[in-house]
Amino acid sequence: MNLLSSPSGARETTTPASGLAIPMIEIDHVSQIFQTSARKDHLALSDISMTVGDGAFVSILGPSGCGKSTLLYIVGGFVNPSQGIARMKGKPITGPGPDRGPVFQEFALFPWKSVLGNVMYGPRQQGVKPAEAEAQSRALIEMVGLKGFEDFYPKELSGGMKQRVALARTLAYHPEVLLMDEPFGALDAHTRTRLQNDLLNIWERDRKTVLFVTHSVEEAVFLSDKVVMMTRSPGRIRDIVDIDLPRPRRRTELLLDPRYQKYVVDIERLFDDTGEAEVL
Amino acid sequence: MISAKDIVSRAAPLLACLGLLVIWQVGSLALQNDSVPTALEALRAIPAIMGDKEALINILASLRRMAIGFSIAVLLSIPLGLLMGRNRFVAAFFNPLLMVIYPVPKAALMPIIMLWIGVGDLSKTLVIFLGVSLPVIYHSFEGAKAVQEKMLWSGAAMGLSAAERMVRIVLPAALPEILTGCRTGLVLALITMVTSEMIARQSGAGNILFNALDMGQYDTVFAMIIVIGAMGICFDALFELLRARLVKWSEPQFDMPLSFS
Repeated sequence: MNLLSSPSGARETTTPASGLAIPMIEIDHVSQIFQTSARKDHLALSDISMTVGDGAFVSILGPSGCGKSTLLYIVGGFVNPSQGIARMKGKPITGPGPDRGPVFQEFALFPWKSVLGNVMYGPRQQGVKPAEAEAQSRALIEMVGLKGFEDFYPKELSGGMKQRVALARTLAYHPEVLLMDEPFGALDAHTRTRLQNDLLNIWERDRKTVLFVTHSVEEAVFLSDKVVMMTRSPGRIRDIVDIDLPRPRRRTELLLDPRYQKYVVDIERLFDDTGEAEVL
Repeated sequence: MISAKDIVSRAAPLLACLGLLVIWQVGSLALQNDSVPTALEALRAIPAIMGDKEALINILASLRRMAIGFSIAVLLSIPLGLLMGRNRFVAAFFNPLLMVIYPVPKAALMPIIMLWIGVGDLSKTLVIFLGVSLPVIYHSFEGAKAVQEKMLWSGAAMGLSAAERMVRIVLPAALPEILTGCRTGLVLALITMVTSEMIARQSGAGNILFNALDMGQYDTVFAMIIVIGAMGICFDALFELLRARLVKWSEPQFDMPLSFS
């Protein structure tokens, strides 16, 4: 069994570390309270503690409304937690920074910039010289499969292509951690599958740390080393599941693999009795 | 290859003008009223106005006031509108003020303004400035408010400061909406330009019009209306050209084209 039961307190999702190792990302007793329009306090996240090791692909999996995106925004520095603290390499996260690159479900491309302009934006902001930034960006655009679309504007691209641009734009400024917020949630099933495959291929090249939010069990199992399961409202960690499947992963092989199937079924079963678990 | 349909759609605005002139011509002949000159009489009076040095100086003085009032209004209104759109406190402070000023016809302020700062260029330019400001502020505000939060977050992650995000993300993202406001502002500038000269009669295109009206030169009155209308169409068409160039990246809009462009 790879399913770890979840004791309260900090969870180690890296290989058991020696006392010296500082995790890439550490979420330390984070709670988030929102004010609803009726001026009532709503507890979105309740006492979340977890760590993400360097080079790990970790998914946060949960039903909509469980606060999983909020957790990602806290790591991104876009949202300040009501309680607790998030750290990157031991340093408290106080705001956004180029060490953590977000990719959003809504793409959030700059519509007034061409594909090339979007991808070059980060490097130029970091002070990379125009010619160098352009060369790097063109290579990245080719890597995400959009060679020939450099001069297109976002409005001229399909959803899948937009998300490829968004990924290239984020990779362009070399973040140490990728923060992916249901990046394939707005895409049709076919495009989604292709992008999952391509993301894994790209990730295999340098194995950046990835924190990936999704509500799809199959997606989480297919992509991740660890799946952090969250319960609904208030968002709590239900379980952390190690996905012990060989890499590089081929989707067609994996779908036939009983181990993959078991992970998917086990996680779905765990979600089914989440209601009961809440009573405890 | 230009199809027949293309020719018709291209010629449509011209045909509409021509039709209007024909109806005017027939109508005025039927009415037989001195205060309604025929279309041909009005058109014949245009070269006389455009050839008159005095009239040209008046019209140019009008246009100069309009250009200054419009430019200052745009330069101040866009930053204010954008700040209001992104900052709740700025919006809370300025919104009530603007809501009070918005429905007031700006020309109605003209007598008070004349009382304070005289009948010269300054008061007329100020009225134009007020007329242009509100739609530009309003549209900049709406445009800035609608900017996707995630777009700003993406910029923040790249290391853009709050001020940089304002100039390099909010401004371009809101530009289509801002330019819609500027287009409304441009037409309002022309309207307030004429009405300000109607109230403070001293110089300008409006002054020619109302002097002619006083003297019963109705062909000149209607000729001036045509001239002012033509200026409006030209400004709008030129602005539309500029707008289309600046925001060619934005989603196609299926609005009725107001101009000949």
